[in-house]
Amino acid sequence: MTDEPTNFLYPFIDAQEDDPKSLLADLAASAQAKAAESVSLRRSTLDANAELIASAAAEMARRFSGGGRLFTFGNGGSCTDCTTLARLFAQPPLGNPLPAWSLTADQAIMTALGNDVGFELVFARQLIARGQAGDIAIAMSTSGSSANVMAALKEARRRGMYTVGFAGYDGGAFAKSPDVDACFVVRSQSVHRIQESQALLGYRLWLAVHDQMATHQVEAL
Amino acid sequence: MGSDATTTAIDRGLDADLAADLAATSFTLAKRFAAGATMWSIAPGWEPHALHIAVEFIHPVIVGKRALPAVAITGPDVVDVVRVSVRPGDIVVAVSGADDPQVRSVMQRSRAWGVTTVWIGSGERPKAGMADHILWLGDPDPRVPATGGFVLFYHLLWELTHVCFEHPGLLKERDVCTDEVCVTCSDEGRLGEVLAATADGMASVRTANGVETVATTLVDPVAAGELLLVHAGTAISRVEEEAVR
Repeated sequence: MTDEPTNFLYPFIDAQEDDPKSLLADLAASAQAKAAESVSLRRSTLDANAELIASAAAEMARRFSGGGRLFTFGNGGSCTDCTTLARLFAQPPLGNPLPAWSLTADQAIMTALGNDVGFELVFARQLIARGQAGDIAIAMSTSGSSANVMAALKEARRRGMYTVGFAGYDGGAFAKSPDVDACFVVRSQSVHRIQESQALLGYRLWLAVHDQMATHQVEAL
Repeated sequence: MGSDATTTAIDRGLDADLAADLAATSFTLAKRFAAGATMWSIAPGWEPHALHIAVEFIHPVIVGKRALPAVAITGPDVVDVVRVSVRPGDIVVAVSGADDPQVRSVMQRSRAWGVTTVWIGSGERPKAGMADHILWLGDPDPRVPATGGFVLFYHLLWELTHVCFEHPGLLKERDVCTDEVCVTCSDEGRLGEVLAATADGMASVRTANGVETVATTLVDPVAAGELLLVHAGTAISRVEEEAVR
């Protein structure tokens, strides 16, 4: 019987399995369960970080208004998510653009630094060259402990930049570091679910920065 | 600037249709990978999504899961780079709006290249049949690509594809149509992309079966990149192209 609803529990029993119906039903149920977990985590993460979003956005808005710029960085999937965030600031589909860059965008710089001074310094060395007091650094990491990201946050702090860290699990080294001014922790053990919540946190931070800047403009009139 | 979009983004679960689409797409990906496919990801305008998809599949976050061949194609000439990269049986995953001219062109030409297509996006939905699998969020807010909804989609595709690998019996190729008089193919003809301009009423054309030399007397003259409908060794008509070649 290939259409027994419990067949999916015994995948290797039947290598001649030829009816995908129960597998497809199982996959759909699994997709819904994982999506529900993702929604629930996004909701609890936003709730837990509402005040931090407001205070970090206020400081970022103050810096952008004073000519500050944003640098984002991370590794792997976190690199792509922080690049999406930098793009959202610099080329927003709606609203005013703000100066923002991802430090992973240039392969020549990444490979030159990785090869010559080591991967641990690929972000920090770029901040030594570009970062100034009044600027902002946003680091994304699921572990909250990546060595090159920690080194860059330390360098950013030393230069008078405002430092924001996105972490998962229990916050890792970000949560304990004096180099992180605002630490957003997504409390989950799943790298996938952490990244989904971090993407939404970043989006909400961007929205809040613009809300703050609009408020300042009204007050200045 | 309101936060309506995020309210939708947070509360948006997966309805049964979308869950079934994700399941069917993952099953297709697993079958294609099992047969040796490479997956190419493109996302003009939101290129980090293409990069995230590739790194997700080639360097899994869960230790012990197999690395799958996945490559992001970025930069200005997406159609040309996809054309020279793909082989029959490969997969293209696109992340973009339905109106992106480069993605529309890749989706259309993929039928001539023998490539399975997956299209992820939001807003107005592409017409049914423009891609083999369409994973779509109806929210028209242009900021949706930055809210994490697409990240959830391709994370689920990765997770479910690996579940499918636990069912090797279901991943075997079957019912592959190679017969020239197959009833499925013969009525409609097959899409072909011209490789070089016509010479003596014949042209070299790329189809899902490979490169073929076909008679073009019914449609002459033809130029490289044009799309034709090929039936029984003859180009029987031209096919209107999506904007970007």
